[in-house]
Amino acid sequence: MPIEQAVQTLNLNDPAVFKEWQEFLESLGISNFQANELQQIDTTLGIYNERGSLIATGSVAGNVLKYVGVCNKFSTQGSHFNSIVSALMNLLAQRGIFHLFVFTKVKYATSFQHVGFHELARTDLGVILETGDTGVDDYVRRVAQAAADRHLTPASKVGAIVMNANPFTLGHRYLVEQAARENDLVYVFVVNDDVSLFTTAERLALVKAGTADLTNVVVVSGDQYMVSYVTFPAYFLPTQDDAIRYQTTLDARLFRDQIASALHIATRYLGSEPFSRTTGIYNQVLQTELPPAVAVKVIDRQTSGDNVITATQVRRALAADELATVRDWVPATTYQFMQENLTQLQARIQEGMNINGN
Amino acid sequence: MEIKKTAIAGTLESSDIQLMISQADSGIAIDLQSDVKKVFGDQIEAVITTTLNDMGVTAAKVKAVDKGALDCVIKARTIAAVQRAAETTDKPAWEVL
Repeated sequence: MPIEQAVQTLNLNDPAVFKEWQEFLESLGISNFQANELQQIDTTLGIYNERGSLIATGSVAGNVLKYVGVCNKFSTQGSHFNSIVSALMNLLAQRGIFHLFVFTKVKYATSFQHVGFHELARTDLGVILETGDTGVDDYVRRVAQAAADRHLTPASKVGAIVMNANPFTLGHRYLVEQAARENDLVYVFVVNDDVSLFTTAERLALVKAGTADLTNVVVVSGDQYMVSYVTFPAYFLPTQDDAIRYQTTLDARLFRDQIASALHIATRYLGSEPFSRTTGIYNQVLQTELPPAVAVKVIDRQTSGDNVITATQVRRALAADELATVRDWVPATTYQFMQENLTQLQARIQEGMNINGN
Repeated sequence: MEIKKTAIAGTLESSDIQLMISQADSGIAIDLQSDVKKVFGDQIEAVITTTLNDMGVTAAKVKAVDKGALDCVIKARTIAAVQRAAETTDKPAWEVL
């Protein structure tokens, strides 16, 4: 048997290590080394052969496996791949992370399925898979239970909205009202990633407070299955249009095939998007991908006087210390929260929280 | 024995099995992935179930990825995963061996 070195940690801050790692991955057809992707990497592992050349590598970013590449020239089929994935999973287990995702090229999807991963969505360009102690089935069960607890199921007409609500405005409220009027049950999925001015807990609480009077509306977290860093990193990071299109296609198919079908969602409601390019492309892709399984209804943005209500404007008013100017744009619950937490919110903006994205 | 948290034992390398054990409300549910599932699937699940029963585990979710492990390996990995998940690594379950 050839003598091979064990799996070891690669220090990508070492320029020589980084160069070999990048060249190795490029030789396997992996080409995205943009700073915003690389910055997210927590740990990189690798295996060297007896001559000291890199022959396998994989990285983790939170609970997402990235940059997994294996050269099978000198090994039994798949053995290095299994070693790397196994080492990454054990590493995450030590950090208490047991539920993980991978975004990978179509040709590697089978390799991941062979080590227990379950496919969530695919396009010609890539596949998203998950594994671990929980999964999309558990998530769907929890969401359905939230509706059952409110005695809203079984429902014959079910609608859904996905929103970041940073923060919840009357524009969001208008969208929810339209959906609530046309359906027996409406799920409002709040984006889960904590990278916005208002924290995930705050956004979720404000959506719940702002819709509490609508008896057929169930507000839940979108977990990692909707517009998350896992499915759709471009929502949070500046990205080229084709990458946005590809990520939103995966996000849309995951919603259609894993979420909507299991929860009997017949219609997804969207707000028209005049400003954000990323959200604009997302809306287009949803309209292409969801029907006929799920109908898409685009509701025109509500206006206040001549202005279109947007959460971006509300955040700008916070930054400019002109909260009173947006008083008519948000529900009383959101306004009260902003008044009470004004100092803290403004401190977050001062510390560099971006308020102009999503 | 009560499963208190998720734990993992084993690897994905050949002749091994990776076992992830987590909480469940009741019963034992095993999700097994194995290239030899058609022939040995029932046997692998039986070894896991018997070992869990011997350790007094009545409710657990098990995700197992088998890479051709022998019964003794499957049993050892199951014991290790349960001890970690039940937080009893300081009290080895000698009697199960």
